[in-house]
Amino acid sequence: MPDQLVWGMEVFLNGLMAGVLYALVALGFVLIYKASGIFNYSQGVMALFAALTLVGVMEGQVPFSHLINAVFGTEIHHFGWHVPALAAILLTMAVMILLAWAVNRFIFRHLVNQEPIILFMATIGLAYFLEGFGDLMWGSDIKTLNVGLPQGINPVIDEVTYRIFGYGFFIDNLDLVATGIAALLVIALVIFAQYTKQGRAMRAVADDHQAALSVGISLNFIWVMVWSLAGFVALVAGIMWGTKSGVQFSLSLIALKALPVLMLGGFTSIPGAIVGGLIIGVGEKLFEFLIGPLVGGATENWFAYVLALIFLVFRPQGLFGEKIIERV
Amino acid sequence: MAQSSGAADGHQSIPALLHRNATRYADSMAYREKEFGIWQCWTWAQAEKEIEALALGLLNLGVDEGDFIAVIGRNRPHFYWSMVAAQSVGAVPVPVYQDSASDEMAYVLDHCGARFAIVEDQEQVDKIIDIQDGLHQFEHIIYVDPRGLRKYDHHKLHQFSHVQEQGRAAHEEFIEDLRARRDKLAYSSVCVMLYTSGTTGKPKGVVLSNRNIIEASKSSAEFDTLTRNEEVLAYLPMAWVGDFIFSVGQAYWCAFCVNCPESADTMQTDLREIGPTYYFAPPRVFETQLTNVMIRMEDAGRLKQWLFHRFMDHARRVGPAILDGRPVNGLDRLKYKLGHVLVYGPLKDTLGLGRVRVGYTAGEAIGPEIFDFYRSLGINLKQLYGQTEASVFITLQPDGEVRSDTVGVAAPGVELRIDGSGEVYYRSPGVFEYYYKNEESTAKTKDDDGWVATGDAGFFEEGSGHLRIIDRAKDVGKMADGRMFAPKYVENKLKFFPNILEAVVFGNQRDECTAFINIDLNAVGNWAERNNIGYASYQELAGHPQVLETIKGHVEEVNRSLAEDPMLSHCQVHRFLVLHKELDADDGEMTRTRKVRRGVISEKFKDLLTALYDGSSEIRTTTEVTYEDGRKGSISATLRIVDAAVVAVAGPKVAAE
Amino acid sequence: MLDASEGYTTEDGRAIGGVVMEMRHITLRFGGVVAIKDISFDVREGEIRAIIGPNGAGKSSMLNVVSGFYNPQEGEVWYKGAKRPPMKPYQVARQGIARTFQNIALFEGMTVLDNVMTGRIRQMEAGLFAQALWKGKAEEEETANREAVEKIIDFLEIQHIRKTPVGRLPYGLKKRVELARALAAAPSILLLDEPMAGMNVEEKEDMSRFVLDVNDEFGTTIVLIEHDMGVVMDLSDRVVVMDYGKKIGDGTPDEVRNNQAVIDAYLGVAHD
Repeated sequence: MPDQLVWGMEVFLNGLMAGVLYALVALGFVLIYKASGIFNYSQGVMALFAALTLVGVMEGQVPFSHLINAVFGTEIHHFGWHVPALAAILLTMAVMILLAWAVNRFIFRHLVNQEPIILFMATIGLAYFLEGFGDLMWGSDIKTLNVGLPQGINPVIDEVTYRIFGYGFFIDNLDLVATGIAALLVIALVIFAQYTKQGRAMRAVADDHQAALSVGISLNFIWVMVWSLAGFVALVAGIMWGTKSGVQFSLSLIALKALPVLMLGGFTSIPGAIVGGLIIGVGEKLFEFLIGPLVGGATENWFAYVLALIFLVFRPQGLFGEKIIERV
Repeated sequence: MAQSSGAADGHQSIPALLHRNATRYADSMAYREKEFGIWQCWTWAQAEKEIEALALGLLNLGVDEGDFIAVIGRNRPHFYWSMVAAQSVGAVPVPVYQDSASDEMAYVLDHCGARFAIVEDQEQVDKIIDIQDGLHQFEHIIYVDPRGLRKYDHHKLHQFSHVQEQGRAAHEEFIEDLRARRDKLAYSSVCVMLYTSGTTGKPKGVVLSNRNIIEASKSSAEFDTLTRNEEVLAYLPMAWVGDFIFSVGQAYWCAFCVNCPESADTMQTDLREIGPTYYFAPPRVFETQLTNVMIRMEDAGRLKQWLFHRFMDHARRVGPAILDGRPVNGLDRLKYKLGHVLVYGPLKDTLGLGRVRVGYTAGEAIGPEIFDFYRSLGINLKQLYGQTEASVFITLQPDGEVRSDTVGVAAPGVELRIDGSGEVYYRSPGVFEYYYKNEESTAKTKDDDGWVATGDAGFFEEGSGHLRIIDRAKDVGKMADGRMFAPKYVENKLKFFPNILEAVVFGNQRDECTAFINIDLNAVGNWAERNNIGYASYQELAGHPQVLETIKGHVEEVNRSLAEDPMLSHCQVHRFLVLHKELDADDGEMTRTRKVRRGVISEKFKDLLTALYDGSSEIRTTTEVTYEDGRKGSISATLRIVDAAVVAVAGPKVAAE
Repeated sequence: MLDASEGYTTEDGRAIGGVVMEMRHITLRFGGVVAIKDISFDVREGEIRAIIGPNGAGKSSMLNVVSGFYNPQEGEVWYKGAKRPPMKPYQVARQGIARTFQNIALFEGMTVLDNVMTGRIRQMEAGLFAQALWKGKAEEEETANREAVEKIIDFLEIQHIRKTPVGRLPYGLKKRVELARALAAAPSILLLDEPMAGMNVEEKEDMSRFVLDVNDEFGTTIVLIEHDMGVVMDLSDRVVVMDYGKKIGDGTPDEVRNNQAVIDAYLGVAHD
């Protein structure tokens, strides 16, 4: 069945693109987990918050307008200006850095040396707080985000595949750009971690707090830095996802998709997050395409989790995780 | 150029060759050394400058013509310069093994009456200060690494770089003198004196002239068409004749670059980084490398293992033939090419042998399996047979005629003969002048016509005319029933197993053969780790029942293979024990070049030897050991004696007697 | 008694300078337990100063006070002529006080080279954004730091494990890597917490040699804790003896050896 095969290839490519987004969110998780041992449940919400802030800034929305209007009885919503995309992204990044600082200053500095489960609960709290806070700040309506990324079918791929297979693949330009940016981001992160002094300090903190202190590394600085990096990754993910499906609260749910990705890739591996993301993305699309019709569809809802479960049983440390060796 | 000999283009000494290279190839690399993580480089022109500065400094310190200058250190450009600088001022360089114990060093320095020593660091300085009182002629020490030496009395102690500085400062004053002395050097002048460790007796000082070194270097370089583009890694002891020929003789004759590793421990990394084109290693190094490869493969993933074994099998089948240029069918060739991409290439690069054009091994017989392993990878590894007294080369294997069981044909310019008792004799331009202050030994070794006895027993193979060495002439013995006993042959078979580091086989004048065995801590330790077997020391591991069982398996395999050899089937090992300590040069059990000293061992472990033959199954013993710093201690152990199965060989005995 | 600013020359010809650090009446409590009680002593520039005492004497606590891991309830720390306010360990480290740990605190997942490079954090000036924007300066700095680090790697003879992850190294080598990392900071004071603990005789000798060489070659002031008396007496210029959180002796090894309180509390017991 050649048609089936060709369609399958298209599904495969689209899955790859979807996987890139999962990978981006998972990357944020990995960064924070490696450096501080905190499993940041709020990573998805951070992406949402970043996207909301970006839209708000670009449109010249007045933050907390709802609240202000309610209290003062005013009717302000917009400053009446529009901020260019690039400037808005920089501003949003500044907000994310501020958020990173605040999270450490007001939450995690007080939780040093606590059990992981407590840290985890704190991030759940943070997630809901951020969700409400974002809502309060920018309003709860669905927004569209356009920072000028190309969208729509890629004509070249369509043309080429049509010539070869007699069937033009539908590949979205946005997905191609997202893939490119994600790849750049990963390369940049790896270079940062391996070859800069802050990167080295970050790895040092991830490895041993006491030793890091003794060579003059400020843990707080590194944590703020890592949360800022995670914020940056969240911003990138927020832009991609927001451009594709609009900025809405369902965005925070992709955070949950990142969980199986981490199970596959390992919680501490940057390449693992990427590969895990791609596998889940491709896997769920192909599974839906091949098996979905037989079981009545909607397999995308559970496929990733079941795959993760299987992995947990056979390879608990994930594909790239450090081997767990118990010496007897 | 008053000298007339015409050979060597009129360059009749190493300093003369240095000057030729510095003029002709001024900007090509002469030396590299890795220091502080970076390869530091010197061109021939720079090297000449360094050597000249040092030579002037030596004149400044009062070195006379004919003085002996000891050179003690690991392979570093400084020490190669020291030797050439010594030659330039008419002195004789005497490289000494840097790990020699104090008394060995004292013997050498006293014997040659050295006035100067150029050494590496505090360790060597301390050693010489310790023995200095017994040395009447000794005067100055020059050291390279100042660390820890600042507080020492510097009346007779000088830093290498300072000596060079003083030399440069005194340029005007001494340059004429230096030139005069350099010009006086002739083909017959002494080039270097090397002490042979010898498996018996005191070391002898072998005096080699410029003629010896340059002729030997020249003809051997031509034999393998060495060019000035070769890269070598100098890592073997500087006191060993091979290093002198490769890193000085041939290097200066061909003008190729000598690379010095960062430290002994980084040798493997440095080898990989340099990728030598011309490489020498004793069989031991090849063995260790192979062992490491095998260990790593056992830890590798299943796919990798499968690929490795599959392609290695193929390489073993067709690799040597391809290397020798013999016909191989197209499909096999293609598969070999694929194997090169997937396995051989990466493996060779990891070993640091990816660029080797000519590789040699010598010093001991190499296990055929080891030899074939490297050849099948496409590495042109060959054997040579040589001695200090011959300026290395006696026989060499020409390309295309390489085999593991022969040592090749007479090297260019070498004549060979074998006397009635089977001992090999040779005569060549490389034959040493004399043993320093030892006329008796000189006369015993070298006759009036210039023939030198090798001390090895061998024969020319029919057909090929290649020389085959059986064993040290004095080691080949007879069993009680009169049949030939060739211990080394059996030992080599045993040592092929990665788990066995050393073996000493006994059987001379006895009814059956027995053996002492040293396990390889690296290989066996790795196995123990993977099998969760805990051990605290070499001794504990060596006595572990499972280890003994494994070794027993190896011994029995050797017995089975011996049984197939009609000449040596009676040399099967009936009983063996695993020694509780590693045989060590510090304890006198081996030479510095790691040849076992049978006499010493059978004397020292007499109780163990007796136990091997009296049927006992266990023996308690105490042995004296020498620690690295020279202190002595002792270790005790109870050793199990293991009976190994032998294959009954029918026939020959009944028929023979 | 020497003046604080005066120096002297040791028998083996090393120049010892004035007081670089002084602990004044330090008292440290954990809850109700007094770990250190009213201890004072000084450290002179260029000397090897040992703190000894039986297990539980409070030696490690003292070192942790010096390195800022603990802040004492009472007493003052004077460093380079100024009173030091309460500080975080990383701030102390940035003041030029480097340390090692009794139980080794290395970055196990990183290579030896990277571990030692982290020791240079103090010397790295270029900030994050400067590194991104002005590549030249960052590169220059990295090269200079690498050079300094390579000298130390050479000095401690760990070239062969440069690229090996620390987690794979045996104990003795780890101790040496930790020393290398501390040295990379080019510290004014080097604190060694039981540098010979858990080592065999040969490794101890090596380590002693390195400690002496470091002091000799770089002129580094060294404060070390050790309970192996033999090692301490050979190595140090002056010794503080602690017992149950109190100082019971202070002086040259010979003075300490002949101090009755010390003999009663420590030597008599340890050397039976």
